[in-house]
Amino acid sequence: MDFRLTSDQESLVEAVDKLALQFQHKPTEFHGFALVGDELESELRQGEYFDIAQVPEFGPLTAAMAVERLARLPFTAEIALSMLVRPQLPVDLPRPLAVVENGRPGRFVGTAKTLLVIEGERISIARPSADDVESVESLFGYPMGRLKRTIDLERLSDADAYATRKWLRVALAAEMSGLLKAAIDSTVEHLTLRKQFGRPLGTFQALRHRMAECAVLAGGVRWLMLKAAGTADDGDAALAASHAQESATRVAYEVHQMLGAMGMTLEHPLHLWTYRLKALLSELGGRGGQASAVAKLIF
Amino acid sequence: MDFSWDDEQRAFRATVREFLAAHLPRDWESLAHGPGTDWQSTFSKQFCGALAAAGLLVPHWPKRWGGRDADPWTSFILAEEMWEAGEPRGGQYMNVNWIGPTLMRFGCEEQQQRYIPPMAQGQTIWCQGFSEPEAGSDLASLRTRADKEGSTYRINGQKIWTSYAGHADTCFLLARTSPGRNGISIFLLPMDTPGITVRQIPSVIGEGDIHEVFFDDAAVPATAMLGEEGKGWEIVRTALSLERVGIPRFALATRMLHRAVDKLKQTGRFGIGAIEQAARARAACESARFYSYNIVDQRRHGLTVGAEASAARYATVMAERLVSEFVVEHVPEALAGADQMLLSHHQRAIVAGIASGAAEIQLNLIASDFLGLPKEPR
Repeated sequence: MDFRLTSDQESLVEAVDKLALQFQHKPTEFHGFALVGDELESELRQGEYFDIAQVPEFGPLTAAMAVERLARLPFTAEIALSMLVRPQLPVDLPRPLAVVENGRPGRFVGTAKTLLVIEGERISIARPSADDVESVESLFGYPMGRLKRTIDLERLSDADAYATRKWLRVALAAEMSGLLKAAIDSTVEHLTLRKQFGRPLGTFQALRHRMAECAVLAGGVRWLMLKAAGTADDGDAALAASHAQESATRVAYEVHQMLGAMGMTLEHPLHLWTYRLKALLSELGGRGGQASAVAKLIF
Repeated sequence: MDFSWDDEQRAFRATVREFLAAHLPRDWESLAHGPGTDWQSTFSKQFCGALAAAGLLVPHWPKRWGGRDADPWTSFILAEEMWEAGEPRGGQYMNVNWIGPTLMRFGCEEQQQRYIPPMAQGQTIWCQGFSEPEAGSDLASLRTRADKEGSTYRINGQKIWTSYAGHADTCFLLARTSPGRNGISIFLLPMDTPGITVRQIPSVIGEGDIHEVFFDDAAVPATAMLGEEGKGWEIVRTALSLERVGIPRFALATRMLHRAVDKLKQTGRFGIGAIEQAARARAACESARFYSYNIVDQRRHGLTVGAEASAARYATVMAERLVSEFVVEHVPEALAGADQMLLSHHQRAIVAGIASGAAEIQLNLIASDFLGLPKEPR
């Protein structure tokens, strides 16, 4: 055990931080649901950030750190699956990637070059054309889309499906970890500035305790996610995804309570993170799905 | 960042496990594990003596005091294995974790010579005289007085919820030498000093665990004071930060969760509801584990540990809670005599959110020092 970053990890984290700086504020004129960062995507592509998991000095653990950091931005792009899942697939496939789970709408499905189609235990690969998919209006802070029609599927072997599911769980936990942190940070700012009864909201113990509990949950998600990315263990991945979905359920509620009516507006950025969290709550079978995986893999 | 154990750490863990296998009584699992029982207190001296002889009691202490300057991971691996086994060291874990190290840092030569060797040999039990009837979470408001008369202090007052007091040889006592937070001093007080009365408080957490301790003109020489007069609060803050992540509670909680799940599986009762709760509890245990490991890692690299210690403690409280709630709901027979280990774990789990700073005090610290929220007005 040694939790210091290697010098390679440190330099990569610094570079991602630097890149993230220019995308850290929601444009004031944006009042929509999914704030898509095309420029962010293009910078990541040009900097070859989507391939960092394949670089031996970095590996999936460093990629997970990058996913977590970038998920804290108000802008979103298809990052997690490209950085953490694509390198683990048996063949080289074009990005962006998206998951279609049991026929439901999914994040980035409308623009994906590669689809991972989950039907029960089975996972297949599809290469959609523009006519195969369509975008769907939604509250979720991601561009949502769905398959319009039946499409050719190439089924992954059981072993590949198994491994893919593991990395999907790590990607889910890494993304949620960043979203949780951003939602909490944004709420702490509000509680520090907003005054009622003559003092900042953040001085009221009823709110302080709930925020502290949220912080402990979010920090735990980050540890379990990093460990899963570091060990590549199936059980660790299931635990990380389980803790992420479990914690997000609680945190999404709490931070909206803290923000009051301000959190209902599209002007405040909170919804960008909380409604992304809500989109992720149902993925990969939701809490019940992760619990079954934990039971199978750990108990 | 590396999540694996190195060869030396793996070998050390194996050594500790072999020791436990060789030295725990055959019926250990069926014995009552309250750390304050008569049996456990007597056994702890035999067991800790053997640990000391094997170099496994205080490996992280300096050579001068019987250790080998082992790194914080070594002591934490040792603590994990001990706690997971049901803590055969009894109350002596406190000596190893924080009383010994606090004396090494703040004690004078004479105090160190008198008190540290018996700890390093596993032959002494301490209690901590902290809480009072009117001073629990607000510890700094404590009232027990130490009045100076020449070269003697006279102690008057009362402590409560004092663990292991019935068997303790010495008390690590907080007492007031003047008003205010800067008026608290620490005394190393032999428990056979005339004027001390100990009464056990019957409790749900186990026999012989908590006590009331009364001080009626108990006289101690001024040389019994640890550190300078009025510096007790600073010293105890250091001590408590060691204590907060001193017990790897998640280790036994994890083991007991698996034990409970195994019982359910054997009887075909591990259904959907239980599976979801078990997964939640298991993730909470793992979260507490890595929060705690992070503290150990920071200590290993010489970093100052701040509010992360409170976060680690709170994560641990949640893990203990989820596991004990799981057991109560799904394996209730454990609390009715069917499994002594599960029963003992349940008794101890309640303590996690109360001892060494209530969970709510940890949340205050996390809110201010970890999240940076403005402090409450006082």
